[in-house]
Amino acid sequence: MSFRSRLYNSINNNSSHNALCINGCYCTYKQLAERVAVVQQTLIQQSGSLDRIGIVLSDTVDTYAAIIAILLLGKTYVPLHPGHPGERIQQIVSQASLEVVLAASATPQLAHIACVDMSFLPSVSSTPVLSDGDFSNAFAYILFTSGSTGIPKGTPITYDNIDSFATGFYAIGYQLTPQDRCLQMFDLTFDLSVVSYLMPLCAGACVYTLPDKGMKFTNVYSVLEEHNITFALMVPSILSFLRQYFSEIHLPQLRYSLFCGEALSADLVTEWQKCVPNATIDNVYGPTEATIFCTWYRIDTTGTVGATNGVVWIGKPMLGVNTIVADDEGNLVSTGEKGELCLAGNQVTPGYLDNEKNKTAFFTLNGERYYRTGDLVLLHSDGNYIYCGRSDHQVKIQGFRIELAEIEHHARTAFGCHAVAIVATSPQGINQIELVLETEATNKSDIAGTLKSLMPAYMLPAGIHFVKPLPLNINGKTDRKELAKLIATAI
Amino acid sequence: MDSNEIYAHLQKIYCTILKKDQVTLTDATTAADIDGWDSLTHMLLMDSVEREFGIKFKLMEIMKFNNVGDMVACIQKKLAAK
Repeated sequence: MSFRSRLYNSINNNSSHNALCINGCYCTYKQLAERVAVVQQTLIQQSGSLDRIGIVLSDTVDTYAAIIAILLLGKTYVPLHPGHPGERIQQIVSQASLEVVLAASATPQLAHIACVDMSFLPSVSSTPVLSDGDFSNAFAYILFTSGSTGIPKGTPITYDNIDSFATGFYAIGYQLTPQDRCLQMFDLTFDLSVVSYLMPLCAGACVYTLPDKGMKFTNVYSVLEEHNITFALMVPSILSFLRQYFSEIHLPQLRYSLFCGEALSADLVTEWQKCVPNATIDNVYGPTEATIFCTWYRIDTTGTVGATNGVVWIGKPMLGVNTIVADDEGNLVSTGEKGELCLAGNQVTPGYLDNEKNKTAFFTLNGERYYRTGDLVLLHSDGNYIYCGRSDHQVKIQGFRIELAEIEHHARTAFGCHAVAIVATSPQGINQIELVLETEATNKSDIAGTLKSLMPAYMLPAGIHFVKPLPLNINGKTDRKELAKLIATAI
Repeated sequence: MDSNEIYAHLQKIYCTILKKDQVTLTDATTAADIDGWDSLTHMLLMDSVEREFGIKFKLMEIMKFNNVGDMVACIQKKLAAK
């Protein structure tokens, strides 16, 4: 059964169950269905033939209703974060050719575009519609990630991609029921949010979002604890934050504890196991281009963890995902040798919106189309993949994918000097970005203010440093290793 | 220690961790009011506060801090119990 049909049936069959808990307020499937129906009516009336719909995100029932309305109609949603710089939002609007945008409250200023404020749409007692037709190759959503040239990169994911993901998800053995309570801790511009709301809603379970006030990691814990969460996908940095309080944490009701988005530390997860005695713990991995996640590694209940250099393995491919390890030219490397992980199968996107980028990101081998992840891996003799870092300067900070080159591009353009972004590890073991400018020391808060107007918050450096001249390596290039050492002493 | 003294210590800690020349804290101050006070620096702040006053917060206590005033009250309670 397609996920669209599952979602439609779930909404109709679980009317009296809670679907969402947002800031402590519950919304039943019946209430959600009414909002979905209202949004669908508006979409059909106002944008009948338009397929791509922007959604200005907020933590509201209407934001989720809009997503579901669009998916049931077989259209495409493009999440827009109101906190991101206006120029970035405008770039996304034009790249995705958006003509209509839904918002749950006050709307941002967007040129040449119709904006529907959903809070003014009166509730009606009608039911959602599931559009007939074959939508397998239609785009369900388009997400934008950091692009090295400063322009966000649009990745469309089709209905077939999501169905393939769902098949793999069920094949792992994850079984959600209407009795489950599931954590949704992710920004909706980030694809880990999709599994966090969609799989529970397809099963009639309840989705709990994070309160908008306070600190993320304490909020995550308070939701896990107060609402007896049974399914939680989190980024590993939450564990780094909570580590010093592990002795106070006891979550026996948690059935599934998944980690994704960053390297998972074996020590940390072994300690976490004691906090969640009844949970199945999996480390899952995957790029946005291959739909949410596509490999998984189960942490043994006896406490033996497959790990290399202290980092938990990313495991084996999900059902329907084909993997190879290739060198720069796309040739297979011998088993056990390091190379770039390449992915094929129905979870892989048909390609970026910007066709130029597809020339280097995809290649065909033996009739299969492969996506180059940029992630370096080794294949262990037992069939598990070992993550060995990136082949480029892309990094993940708290799960967000960031091209260091994009930060450098913005800084260089804004300040007219050489700029190097590097990743440093805080004393607590959290990765953060540090920006080095090759200039005389100047006012750091002015610099931080300028950067804030150019980039989303997750890309902003934690520290700014002035180094003049920059250290060079033997090839005359900026010596990033030397810089990293310099910075490590300064944070 | 009275609350004025606690505030003097806190302001010093906040300046060091957030790398600022001046930080003004009141009972009603929340993370949203101070630039740079986010999840990452919050941990460093809590850690430094614990060390400065020789106390240890529980996770449940940190979760219930709605503003700086709540934290100051908790520090006072812990110092009194020492």
